[in-house]
Amino acid sequence: MKNTDKQKINQENALNRRQFVQILAGITASLPSSVIAKSSVFGRNDLQSYEHLQDPWLTLASVQEHLLPANKNSPGARDITALHFLQNLLNAPDTEQEEHDFILQGVNWLNQLSIKHNAQKFNLLDSSSKEKILREIETSRAGSRWLSLMMTYLIEALLSDPVYGGNKNQLGWKWLEHIPGFPTPTVDKVYFKLGAHASPRRVTKA
Amino acid sequence: MSKNYDVCVIGSGAGAGPVILELSRAGKSVLVLEKGPWLKEEDFFKDEMACCRRSTYTPNLQDEQHVLEEPTDNGNWISEASSESGWDFWNGNVVGGSSNFMSGYFYRLKPEDFRLRSEFGAIDGANIVDWPISYDELEPYYTKVETEVGISGHVIPHKYQEPRSTKDFPFPPTTEHPIVNKIDSACEELNLTSLPTPRAILSQPANGRKSCEYSGYCGSYGCSSGAKGSSRAALIDQAVKTGHCTVLDNAKVYKLKSDSSGRVVEALYYDQNDKAKSITAKLFVVACQAIETSRLLLASTGPKHPQGLGNNYQQLGKNLLFSAGGSGTGEFHYSKMDRLTASAMKTRGPFVNRGLQDWYFFEDKSFNGKAKGGVIDFLLRHPNPISKAMSVRWNDDDNLNWGEPLKQDLKTVFTGSQDLRFEVFNDWLPTDNCFVSLDNQVKDKWGSAVAKVRLGYHPHDLKVGRFLANKAERVLKQMGATNIRSSVSGSPPANLVAGGCRFGSDIKSSVLDKNCKVHDVDNLFVTDGSFMPTGGSVPYTWTIYANAFRVADKIKTLV
Repeated sequence: MKNTDKQKINQENALNRRQFVQILAGITASLPSSVIAKSSVFGRNDLQSYEHLQDPWLTLASVQEHLLPANKNSPGARDITALHFLQNLLNAPDTEQEEHDFILQGVNWLNQLSIKHNAQKFNLLDSSSKEKILREIETSRAGSRWLSLMMTYLIEALLSDPVYGGNKNQLGWKWLEHIPGFPTPTVDKVYFKLGAHASPRRVTKA
Repeated sequence: MSKNYDVCVIGSGAGAGPVILELSRAGKSVLVLEKGPWLKEEDFFKDEMACCRRSTYTPNLQDEQHVLEEPTDNGNWISEASSESGWDFWNGNVVGGSSNFMSGYFYRLKPEDFRLRSEFGAIDGANIVDWPISYDELEPYYTKVETEVGISGHVIPHKYQEPRSTKDFPFPPTTEHPIVNKIDSACEELNLTSLPTPRAILSQPANGRKSCEYSGYCGSYGCSSGAKGSSRAALIDQAVKTGHCTVLDNAKVYKLKSDSSGRVVEALYYDQNDKAKSITAKLFVVACQAIETSRLLLASTGPKHPQGLGNNYQQLGKNLLFSAGGSGTGEFHYSKMDRLTASAMKTRGPFVNRGLQDWYFFEDKSFNGKAKGGVIDFLLRHPNPISKAMSVRWNDDDNLNWGEPLKQDLKTVFTGSQDLRFEVFNDWLPTDNCFVSLDNQVKDKWGSAVAKVRLGYHPHDLKVGRFLANKAERVLKQMGATNIRSSVSGSPPANLVAGGCRFGSDIKSSVLDKNCKVHDVDNLFVTDGSFMPTGGSVPYTWTIYANAFRVADKIKTLV
């Protein structure tokens, strides 16, 4: 197989670092340090409880549910626990701090805009107001980049192995009639516990 | 005092495995230094996040990268570090190398591929040469790979069938997908010879390895059954059992030290704690895949080799090769089929082992007569679901796709059709615009200069690629596919790479002699795809395996 598809994925996903630094420089002013601090939730399931969410997770969950809404025939972001996936992956050892911060900082940015236009935070808006505001931020480079990252994590949450915290009960696979391969990964051998991230110290001699 | 090994092999992929196994079997003490970790069958899962979404089997690009130089429209070159562009040129840094992640389409070269210059003449701007060996010298080793690595297939006579010393493959073909019947019928109607593609995948258990379990995910994934003929599963595991082979993983060699006579005396490497260490051996074998092999030799300066080992005539890193061609797709919509046919077409697991060689050589007015073509391989669209879903992430207006429209698009792309793809393989002509050098600014995490790769291609490659893609599209049309499209470009597939240390008889125009020993170094061999002066128009892995078995026989007589 020619590895052209993989190249495309990597290129599309890669953060162009120069652009990224410019974007951050433009939006980090006057953010409370509590938002920038890395929220460590990895390995905990209690934040799956959607009833008691606080920001930034409250807003992020709301954005995810708007981007992937549930309907009577198909699962939405909450059904597949997309937020749990996002929390896990943002805290994975290979996720760059810049990317983690960028996602969380987008929340403030979105809510500032929401309060300016609608006098309330994003999660309290009706669906058409949410759509309007997301389409507005999509027109800026930083906003488009942020939404694009949110979409990438959401699609990964929908269709990756449930071991990563999304695709709950394989709802994503079932909805899209996807037949997964086997064997499927175990908790102790998810990608960031193998290979380049783990560098197991092994010298094997016969 | 550390042990003085008979042979030190740097790298453990397809070019290394045969040497490791053969020398171990011969009772020589063999040390393997592999940059990546030693993952085994029990570490491989059908996990798209691991295989294809994150850098699990390859380095973080901030730590280790390449600088890639691409042609611009106005004839200049623009270079960009891969940590900036995200264009990842690593293929598999683990024990067994990228052979762990191959699809295992296995082709021999044809006798004519060994004498391309004599058969087809020169092409302006291309450095085409004949090989210093003939097909007949490699044939016994092609045959050896069939049993040692394990190749399944079935020989069907056709006009370009290469000579074989055995009648058929040692293993029957793997189970095939129902779409194969449609391909065969269409080819018959078009008077083409649909050929079973040999695969380095066991259809029956052998040599302590299990046969294929038909999970439906193969290319890009490490094999959890051991059926895929990776250098690790097929060769290195056997070598370790002899008791003569030591594998040191997470050991990154950064320089080969040579003495005043020009011989290599030491391999310098960083261990898993980034501590600099060294080992000595009587003979050294480099097989780090083409780009990294050239990089290591360029970095290995010494008293007799001030510009790098084997570079006294500035040939090192030159004439790098990829696989030219492209790919295409056609769709078969379930709504146009009866229920039983649709259900058969949705089958996941069996392989599409079909390809065409009708135009390996051809005559055509647009090529002024006789020309070298290539092969076409058919395959199903890769089942990776995240990758498939990402294809509808943008809508027709170039805005992000979300909400109900996204959900409808996802449903269609997942449940609407079976997509048959094809890949075209033709010669990537060697030119002065495709080579490896050391970058003078970007370093890896240990402070060594990274490889800079100029990625120029010859326009002739695209002309041949388009010719073949048009032929492949005709087959899809005959099959009744819709929305048929293809793409041929000069963008190199990073996983199909060779050249950089071409072998030949003259030290002034080649790096290696016909036995793949560096011309003016007595105890240094290169056994990965670097030796190839021209690539042939097929994936390289079978040829790399075969040549490494051939060179192993030569090395055995020296230590």
